[in-house]
Amino acid sequence: MKKTLAILLALVMVFALAAPAAFADDEIVINFPSVWVGTDSKAPYMAQLIEQFNAENAGQIKVVVEEQTDYQAARDKLRTTITTGNTPDLCILDTTYDILAYTESGKFMDLTPYLAEGWGEDFVDGTFDAWSVDGKVCFLPFESAVFTPIYNTRIFEEIGWDHFPATYDEFFQFCEDAKAAGYNAMGQMAGENAWTSMLWYSLIAEAIGGKDVYADGLDNPAFVEAAEVLKHMYDYTFEGALSAGAGDVNGHWLKRDTAIYLNGPWWVANLYKEENAVDGVLLADDCEVAANPVYEGGQGEGGLVTTVQAFLAAAKQDDPAKEAAVVKFIKYITDPQHVSELALSSGAMFFVKYEPSPDTNVISQKLTEVANNADFTILHVNGAFPTAFSTEFPAAVSALVGGQVDAQGFVDQLKMAIEMAE
Amino acid sequence: MKLERSDRGPLYAFLGPAIVLMVVFFVIPVIYVFVVSLLKWNGISAPVFRNIRNYTLLFKDTAFKRSVINNVIWALVAGFIQVPLAMVMAIILSRKPKGWKFFRTVYFFPQVISGIALAMLWRAIYNAETGLLNGILRSIGLGNVACDWLGGIKTAFPAVLIYWVFYVGYYMVIMMADITTIDTSYYEAATIDGATDFQQAIYITIPLIKKTSLLTCVTLASVMGLRQFEQVYMLTNGGPANTTSTMVLYMYKKLQDANYGIASASAVVLIVVGVLFIVCIRMLFEGQSDEAAMIKKARRAVK
Repeated sequence: MKKTLAILLALVMVFALAAPAAFADDEIVINFPSVWVGTDSKAPYMAQLIEQFNAENAGQIKVVVEEQTDYQAARDKLRTTITTGNTPDLCILDTTYDILAYTESGKFMDLTPYLAEGWGEDFVDGTFDAWSVDGKVCFLPFESAVFTPIYNTRIFEEIGWDHFPATYDEFFQFCEDAKAAGYNAMGQMAGENAWTSMLWYSLIAEAIGGKDVYADGLDNPAFVEAAEVLKHMYDYTFEGALSAGAGDVNGHWLKRDTAIYLNGPWWVANLYKEENAVDGVLLADDCEVAANPVYEGGQGEGGLVTTVQAFLAAAKQDDPAKEAAVVKFIKYITDPQHVSELALSSGAMFFVKYEPSPDTNVISQKLTEVANNADFTILHVNGAFPTAFSTEFPAAVSALVGGQVDAQGFVDQLKMAIEMAE
Repeated sequence: MKLERSDRGPLYAFLGPAIVLMVVFFVIPVIYVFVVSLLKWNGISAPVFRNIRNYTLLFKDTAFKRSVINNVIWALVAGFIQVPLAMVMAIILSRKPKGWKFFRTVYFFPQVISGIALAMLWRAIYNAETGLLNGILRSIGLGNVACDWLGGIKTAFPAVLIYWVFYVGYYMVIMMADITTIDTSYYEAATIDGATDFQQAIYITIPLIKKTSLLTCVTLASVMGLRQFEQVYMLTNGGPANTTSTMVLYMYKKLQDANYGIASASAVVLIVVGVLFIVCIRMLFEGQSDEAAMIKKARRAVK
């Protein structure tokens, strides 16, 4: 009896293990770890798009999203999966510096042949120039971003300013007036990844050093000078900025006690949210887009700080059917009509050429105008330097503002971090 | 005692699995970490042998030196402030005063809450603008003392360290369990001899738990101090200016940079520091009085 029972149990176990394989159909499953989930402004439309794609390809292709709500964690996990030979079928990369190593690893699909078939014409001219390695495009630039100040016109009017400062000298005059009136001129943060301060530092460095600011790496004196200016800015931000994170910066801006805000275009959707309105007035109604002020003696006039906010990349596939399925899905996401909808719903900007919806909000339109009118563009500092730079940046900023190092020491600290990584 | 040949088989059979697991999950990884510490490797490209350059870079880096110092301070505070505090609480509560069960639960309660949740709570308390701490200071007329606790170069590390020191419940429970095993006749005899509660604690309780739970707790607390990560990561991420950085956080940041060589080198240093700490703690507790010496000492004290 016991023996029969044991054999029966063993058979049940074997059947349980083999059953899924036995009944599996030919549906191709695409594993897609995505950061466009949760509260991300692109999340609702992306979810809709994926659902639509799965419905259209029911029984043949299924995209399975692995939710990644933290960008840094997603970055870490992606590297680990690549290192361990488990590169996801499709992934999003938000750093520019890893592309070379990742492409050279040979673990990613070369999208060049597909782009050459006409798909590449959907993208803005020159999109792939800077991001192809040995003529291969494995990382498809998808989401772009421009970084330029947005200011609260109501606060400006209250302080007696009818225009955004055109120069950095004027900028600091405004800061004095804002401070005297009890406002924070701008948000700064040295906590978390010091994102806002990193953006301001990029803008100042661009204003001083112009389009060739990165030509000599951190040896360009513009970076020391920019550090002095950044330190000065901390005199006009809210209390506790040295330990503050993005939530603090955004919170102050939404509370209308900060006059100038700096972040990527994906944040624009928040300006139009009812929940952020005060007395029925949307924050967007009090906002205006400005250009980076000109730095006296600087070479950055007409320049713009940008970045590739997201690349799309797919794992190299042995199965041609799966490769075709993954490419089909990427083409689906980057379809100009879908991108137009995505831009409308999120406020984000893209490398895909699309007809902007007539419903596109005013702020997004103005940001696009700023991007189109720029004489030249440079990456923000996090994008231009190795990852070690961005990891060290918060510590270096707090050391600078806290008086532990001077501007030269700040740059040296960042250089040291990069040296250790090389 | 010499083992009979026939006893060796079962002995190896019982020890075997544990040894295999230890080798697979500890010895080999440690060797692997040491090997990687001599390489330049980003996890993607081919590794390049770098000799001891990772170590020289490591000791040139002020952030790493700061991390080592912070860890040593943390381990010392854990072993020699947090554990003694826990011991005092354990001694008091093991006398079973009124409401001792309630206090035991209250002191132990933070241990069942995630460290991340506690860190978030304290982040809110320390908030420069809306934090409870500054609010209290302002309300009692000490507004000039209020500051950005986690953003100040001088205040950040003490702020991160201090709140954690008071979470003594874990060690308190371990020592309470040990104290309850002490023969009550010692205390009865001491009471007859006229020893006060304080004298009984000093001359009976502490010597009897010294080599058992006290040593265990000091070792555990120091090792925990060396392994600090989540509190610092959540509260300050090592800032400002790396003043609150710890070795594990430093290692984590190097892993984020895909700098596996430096990260492994810092892991090797962490292992060495950990071993040194444990050896020092054991030496400190070596040669202490045994039970008999304790009784003799106690009698002398009471006389």
